Amino acid sequence: MNHLVIAPLLLPLLAGIALLLLRGSATPMRQAVSLLATFTLVVIAFQLLLQVADGSVLVYRLGDWSAPFGIVLVADRLSAIMVLLTAVLSASVILYALRGADHDARFFHVLFQMQLFGINGAFLTGDLFNLFVFFEVLLIASYGLLLYGGGADRTRAGLHYVVLNLVGSTLFLFAVGTLYGVLGTLNMADITQRLAKISEEDLGVVRAAGLLLFAVFALKGALAPLHLWLPGAYGYTSAPVAAMFAIMTKVGAYAILRAHSLMFGPESGPVAGLLDPWLLPLALITVVAGTIGVMASKRLSQQAAYLVVVSAGTLLAAFGMGGAEAFAAGLYYLLHSTLAAAAVFLLADVISKARGNALDRLIPGPELPRGQLLAGVFLVIALAVSGMPPLSGFVGKWLILQASIGEPGMPWVFAILLVTSLLVIMTLARTGTMLFFKIEEGATAGSPVRVLDLGAPLALVLIGIGMVVYAGPVYEFGQAAAEQLLRSEAYISAVLQAATGGPQP
Amino acid sequence: MTLPIIVAIPFLGAILVSWLGTRGRMLSAYATTFMSFSALMLLLPQAQTVMQGEIVLWRYDWLTSAGLALSFRLDGLGLLFALMILAIGLLVILYARYYLSEKDPMGRFYAYLLFFQGSMLGIVLSEHIIQLLIFWELTSISSFLLISYWRHREDARKGARMALAITGGGGLAMLAGFLLLGEIVGSYELTAILASAEQIREHPWYLPTLVLILLGVFTKSAQFPFHFWLPHAMAAPTPVSAYLHSATMVKAGVFLLARFFPALSYTPEWSWLVGGAGLLTLLIGAYTALFKHDLKGLLAYSTISHLGLITLLFGIGTPLAAVAGVFHIMNHATFKASLFMAAGIIDHEAGTRDMRKLNGLWKYMPYTAVLAMVASAAMAGVPLLNGFLSKEMFFAKTVYLTEEGTIPWLPIMATLAGAFAVAYSLRFIHDVFFNGEPIDLPKTPHEPPRWMKLPVEILVVLCLAVGIFPAWTFGPLWASAASSTLQADLPAYSLSIWHGFNTALAMSLVALIGGIIIYLIRKPLFRWHENSIAHIDARSMFQWLEQKLFGFAAVLNPILHRSSLQRMVAVTMLAAIAVAFAGFWGFGSITGSQPLSPVDPVSLVAALILIGAAIGTVILHRQRFMALLMLSVVGLIVALTFVKFSAPDLALTQLSVEVVTIVLLLLALYFLPSIPPRESGAGRHTRDLVLAGLAGVGAAGLAWAVLTRPYESIAGYFLENSVPGGGGTNVVNVILVDFRGFDTLGEITVLAIAAIGIYALLEGLRLTAPEQDYDGRSWNWDVHPIIPAAFSRLLLPLALLVAIFVLLRGHNLPGGGFIAGLITAVALITQYLANGIEWTKTRMSTGLPPMIGIGLLLATLTGVASWLFGYPFLTTTFTHVHWPLVGEFEVASAMMFDLGVFMVVVGVTLVILLRLGQLHDINRPENVVESEN
Amino acid sequence: MEALIAIVIGVLTASGVYLSLRGRTFPVVLGLTLMSYAVNLFLFVMGRLMIGIPPVIQENATYADPLPQALVLTAIVISFGMTAFVVVLALRARAELGNDHVDGEENH
Repeated sequence: MNHLVIAPLLLPLLAGIALLLLRGSATPMRQAVSLLATFTLVVIAFQLLLQVADGSVLVYRLGDWSAPFGIVLVADRLSAIMVLLTAVLSASVILYALRGADHDARFFHVLFQMQLFGINGAFLTGDLFNLFVFFEVLLIASYGLLLYGGGADRTRAGLHYVVLNLVGSTLFLFAVGTLYGVLGTLNMADITQRLAKISEEDLGVVRAAGLLLFAVFALKGALAPLHLWLPGAYGYTSAPVAAMFAIMTKVGAYAILRAHSLMFGPESGPVAGLLDPWLLPLALITVVAGTIGVMASKRLSQQAAYLVVVSAGTLLAAFGMGGAEAFAAGLYYLLHSTLAAAAVFLLADVISKARGNALDRLIPGPELPRGQLLAGVFLVIALAVSGMPPLSGFVGKWLILQASIGEPGMPWVFAILLVTSLLVIMTLARTGTMLFFKIEEGATAGSPVRVLDLGAPLALVLIGIGMVVYAGPVYEFGQAAAEQLLRSEAYISAVLQAATGGPQP
Repeated sequence: MTLPIIVAIPFLGAILVSWLGTRGRMLSAYATTFMSFSALMLLLPQAQTVMQGEIVLWRYDWLTSAGLALSFRLDGLGLLFALMILAIGLLVILYARYYLSEKDPMGRFYAYLLFFQGSMLGIVLSEHIIQLLIFWELTSISSFLLISYWRHREDARKGARMALAITGGGGLAMLAGFLLLGEIVGSYELTAILASAEQIREHPWYLPTLVLILLGVFTKSAQFPFHFWLPHAMAAPTPVSAYLHSATMVKAGVFLLARFFPALSYTPEWSWLVGGAGLLTLLIGAYTALFKHDLKGLLAYSTISHLGLITLLFGIGTPLAAVAGVFHIMNHATFKASLFMAAGIIDHEAGTRDMRKLNGLWKYMPYTAVLAMVASAAMAGVPLLNGFLSKEMFFAKTVYLTEEGTIPWLPIMATLAGAFAVAYSLRFIHDVFFNGEPIDLPKTPHEPPRWMKLPVEILVVLCLAVGIFPAWTFGPLWASAASSTLQADLPAYSLSIWHGFNTALAMSLVALIGGIIIYLIRKPLFRWHENSIAHIDARSMFQWLEQKLFGFAAVLNPILHRSSLQRMVAVTMLAAIAVAFAGFWGFGSITGSQPLSPVDPVSLVAALILIGAAIGTVILHRQRFMALLMLSVVGLIVALTFVKFSAPDLALTQLSVEVVTIVLLLLALYFLPSIPPRESGAGRHTRDLVLAGLAGVGAAGLAWAVLTRPYESIAGYFLENSVPGGGGTNVVNVILVDFRGFDTLGEITVLAIAAIGIYALLEGLRLTAPEQDYDGRSWNWDVHPIIPAAFSRLLLPLALLVAIFVLLRGHNLPGGGFIAGLITAVALITQYLANGIEWTKTRMSTGLPPMIGIGLLLATLTGVASWLFGYPFLTTTFTHVHWPLVGEFEVASAMMFDLGVFMVVVGVTLVILLRLGQLHDINRPENVVESEN
Repeated sequence: MEALIAIVIGVLTASGVYLSLRGRTFPVVLGLTLMSYAVNLFLFVMGRLMIGIPPVIQENATYADPLPQALVLTAIVISFGMTAFVVVLALRARAELGNDHVDGEENH
C-alpha cells in the first residue's frame, strides 16, 4: 500500500496535534514546527504529483476496507495538482504570517495546519460523506482563522460566514442522505455506477439531491448568487488568512468539477450533464457581479476579495463549458488565480502598513517610503490578476476564450470576459494611481517597508511568471488531468477494483 | 536567433537602467543609448537579406499544445518599422537627456522608454499574432507609465488612464478578433494567415473578425471616434510625445492595416470601415489642429489627421494606395518627430507652449526657427520635401477613385484637408516665430544646447533628402516594405518629384492657396469656432461615461452585496430549494412502490408533541428561556425516536449532547439581552414564512420519496464483517471505529478545533452580566448550597465508573468512546455547577486541557501503528485475552482509538463549559468590567 | 408511519429555517439546532424504519441498516461542536458589536 497518498493528510494533522501539545513552548519553536511541516508538505505533494503524472489512479483503502464499504482516498492528476497548489500557497502564506501576522502564534499555526488537513482531505477523499467531514474540518479551522485577532468588522463577517456555512452543511447532509437512501452507497465512484442504472421513476429524486449537492458546492465555490458571504469574510480577515482562503473557493470549484465530471459525468447515464444548464450562466453572472464589486470597492483588500469572486466565476465558466480543452484552461486559470489572489491580499497588507493612517483605503495617502518598489510590485500583480499580457492571467484567460470558440455560449463568454477585463484594468489603474501617485500633503507614512515583507508576494509572483515560461508543460498536465476526468470509467474501476486485504510489502 | 535578441535587448536594458538610475543620471542615459544602439547594430546586418525579398523567421515552441509559440518574422515592412523605432529612438534618447530637468528621475524615464521600445519592436517583428497582441498590450502599458511620468500632475494621471482604457480596451477587442482569425485560418502564424485570404473573406465570421481587429487598430492609431485620448497623452514629457505619440506607437495601428492588407482588404466592408474612419479622422484632425493654441495640441491633432490620411489610403484599397500609405508612414514619422522636438525646445526655453503668448521667437532662436519651418513645410506638403511626395500620391489616388466613379467628392475632401494642413502649418510657423513680440513669457528664450538640436537637424535633413532624391535615399527600403505589405510584386510607380502638370499637382496648389486664405481669415474663424463646435469634446464625453460607469457600480454594489446575514441565508435557502425543485420537476414520481408501515398511537403522540414543541420554539423565540425549554423537548423526543427505531447508540448520544447543549445555551442566555426588541416588518415575516414552508415541504418531500422506495445498500457487508473483520458485535460502533474510522478521526478533529476556536474567542472577552433575571429577581450569589455539592461529589466516582464501563463495552454493546466521554464530562460539570468555579479550579485546570491533544494523538497513532504491520492507516486488529475475575475479554486496537475519542470529548466539553462558566463568574455584577462597545 | 416521519422532518426543517432567518443571534442558534435535529432524523430514516430489532449481532436476527446510524452519530457530534462554536461566537459578537443583532445594527 502506497502511504504517500495519505501523507498530505497525516502530516498537517500530526503537525497540528504537535503544535497543540507544544502550546506551552516558545513561539519560535512552534513557528519552526509549522514552517517545517508546511515545506515538507510541498515536497510530499510534489512526489505525489510525480506518481500520478503517468495517469495512474492511486487508491488508498483506509482500515484496509475496500470501496465502496470502507473509505478510500483517491489520488488522480486533478487531486494531486490541487494538493500541490495548496502546499505551495500555504508555504508562501506561512512565510508571510511568520512576520508578525500570526500574533503570538498560540493558535494560528494549530488552526493553519488543521485547515491544511481539511483541505487536503477534501481534495483526496473518494467518499461523499467523508467529503462532508473534511468540509467541516476545513470550515471549523477557517472559522478560527478568520476570527483570529478579533475586531468588530471581522467578528460580524465571521458570524455571517459561520452561520451561512452551517446552513450549507445541513443542506449537504440532506443531499448525501437522499443519495444514500436511494442508491444505498456513499463512495463517489459507486454512486456514479448506480446512477447509471437508476430507474426512470427514481430519477427525479436523485436529480434533486444532485442539484442540492451542487448548491452546497456552489456556496463553497462562491458561485452567484451564493457568493454574497465572500466579500465580507475575505475582506475583513487578516491578510495571511485571506490569502490562504484563496484556495477555499477552489475547494468548492474542485468539488463542482468532480461532481460535474464524475457523478454527473459521462458514465452516469440518465443524470449525465445534470449541471450543464446551470454552471456556465451562473458563472458568467458571478463574473459580472464580482466586477461591479471590484469597481465599487473602497479598500484594496475589499477589491482583492471581489477579484476572488471574479476569478471564481471565470474558472467555473471554463468548467461549465465542458470538454477537455475547457477543463484544462480552467485548471490553468485556477492555479493562476489562486496564487495571484493570495499575492494581492498579502501586498494589500504591506501597503496598508506602509500608508499609516490611510491604511489600504483608496484615498490619497502619504508619500511612501520605497514607494517605487511597492508600485512596481503592485503593477505586476495588477497585470496578473486583470489578465493583461504577458502574465499568467492573460494566458489563462486566453486559453479559456480559445476553449469557448465554437461553444454555444461563445459570444457571451467573449463579451463578458473581455469587457469585465477592461473594467478591472481601468479600476486597478485608478487604484494604483490613487495609492501611489496621489499624494496627500502632510500625511504621515507608516513603518517603512522591509523588502522581506515583500518576500511572500514576490515569491507568488515569481511562481506566476514561472507558469508563463513553462505554460506548455503546465497546460499539458492540465489537459492530461482533464482527459483523465472525462475518462471516468478508468477512475471508477480503479476505485472499485482496488484489491483488498493482506499486508503489502 | 538575432530577432528575439533584438527584441529582448531593450527589455533587459529597462531592468539594467532602472537599477543604474539609482547610481547616476548620466549612467542611465549612456546605458540606454548603448542598448538601443546595439539592437540597431544587430538589425542592420539583417537588412541586406531582407531587402532582397527574403523573410527571416525564428520560432520557439512555447505553449504549442494550445497553439501558442514564440515566433518572430523580419520582412520589408518589419524592417522599415524596426529601423524607424530604433533610429528615432536613439535621437529621442539623446534629446531627452537634455530635455529632462534635474529633479526628474532619469533612470525611471529611460527604463520606461526602453520597455516601450522593446514592446514596439515586438509588435513589428512578430510572426505569431497572439504574441503580437501581447507586445501590443505592453505598448499600452508602457505608454500609460510614460504619460503618467510626472505623477504629481492630475492631467498626466487622467490622460494616462484614458489612454490605457482606450488602447487597452481596443487591444482586448483585437484579442477576440485574433482568436476568431486563428480559428478561421487554423493557425496564428502570419505566413499562414496571409496565404489564406480567400478563406478569410468567404468565412461567415469575416465581418465580426474584421470589426474586432479594426477596433484595436483604430483605438491605437487614434482614429475617429477614438482619437480623443491622443491629445491628452500630450501631458507626457515631449520626448515621449515625439516618440510614442507621433513617430511609432500610434503607427502600430496603421502597421497592422499594412500587415493584414492582403488578408483582410479588397472587400466593400474593408473600404467603408477603414476608408470611412480614415476620411473622418483626416478632416476632423486637420480642422481641429488649426484651433489649438497649445503647440503640442496643434501637433497632436495634426498627427491624428495624418494617421487618418494613412488609414484612408489603406481604405482606398488599391495596391498603389497601400504603397503610398507605407510611404507616408515613414515621412510623417520624420517630420512630425522633428516638429515635436522643436516644440519641446520652445517649451523648454520659453517656458510656455501657448501660441497666444509665443510670438516673434525668430529673434531669439533663429536656428531652431529654420528647422521648425522646414519640418512644418514638409507637414504642409510643400514641394521638395518628403511630405509633398506622399501627399501628392494621396491626391492622385483620390482622383483615381473618382475616375473609377466610385466617390466623386473624395478629391474635394482631400483638398480641403490639405488646405487645413497648410493653414495650421502656417500658424505654427508664423504665430510662433513672427507675428509681433512675445507676451510675458516666464523666461527669455534662447537657443538650446548644441546636442539638443542635433536630433532635430538630422530629421530635418532627412525630410529634405527624401523630398529631393526619394529614389536614392529611401527607395530600396521602401520598395521592400511595400512589396512585403502587398505580398506581391510592386505595381508600377514613380518616385520622381515631377509628374508633369496633373490633377494631383493642381490639388496641391489649391490646397496651398486655400490654406493661406484660411490662415488669413483665421480671426473670424476662431471666433466662429469658439462659439460653436469648440464645446463638443469627446474627452469630456468619455469621462462622463467613466464617471457614470463607476457611479453606477458604486450605487449598485451596496444593493447587490449588502452584508446582511438574513438576506444571505434567505438567498441560500431559496437557491437550494429552487435547484432541488427544478431538478425534481418532470422526472419520476415522488411516491415510490414500498408498502407503508402502520402508525402506532405512541409514535403519533410523540410526533404531535415534537411538532408542537418545534412550533412552540418558533412562536416563543422572543421569550428566550421558554424557547430553550421547548427546544430541549424537541431534542428529547428525537432521542426517543432513535430508541423507538432500534438505535440505542444514537439515543444515548443524542441525550448526552442534548444535556450539554442546553447547559451551554443557558450559560449563553445569561449574557444575551433578555428582552430582544421587536423584529422588523410583516413583509419579511411573510417572506420567511414562505421560505420556511417551501424548505419544509422540500425536506418532507425528500424524506417521503426515499421512505416509500425500496433500496439495496452496502449495509449487508457491514453486518457480515462486523464480528469476523471488526471484532465487535455492535455494528454501529464498529463502523465508527473501524469501517469508517476515518470519519470519526475527522469528527474528533472538528471537536478539538472547535474547542481551540472557542478558547481563543473567549480570551479577553468581557460581557456585562445582568443584575437581575427575567422576572426582575436579582441573581443569588450565595455560596453554593451544600446538599447538591456533597451529592455531586459522591456522584462523581460512580459516573466515572459508568463511563469506563460504557467505553469498554462500546465495541460489542451500545456505548463507546463518545458517549462515555460525554457522561464523564457531564459528571465533572455537575461538580462545577454544584461547587462553583473556585472549588473546581483548584481541582482541574481551566486552561486548554492537554487531554484533547493527547486523545487526538492517541487516535491518530493507533491508525499509524497499522503501518508497522504493513497495513494501511487505521487497519484494526483484535484478540481475546483472559483477565482474572473479568474472564474472557476482547481487546481490539480499535479500543485505543475509541479511548482517544473519549479523551477528546471529555477535554472539549470541559473547555467549552468551564471556560464559559468562568466568564460567567468573572463577570459577576460585583466585578463587572464594561463590555467594550 | 412514513408520512408521519416525513411531516415531522418537514416541520422541524421549516421551524429551523424560519428561526435561522431571524435578526437576532439567539433565535438563529435555535434555528440551526432545529435544522440539525431535522437533518439527523432525516439521515437516520434513510436506513428505513425498523422497529424493535436487536442493535447488536445475534444469532438469526434481522438488523437495521447500521450505516445511517453511524453517519448520524458523526453528524450529531460535528453539529455539537459547531453549535458550541456559534454560541460562543454569538457572545463574542455581542461584546464586539454591542448588541445581539446578526448584522450588529440595531436598526433592523
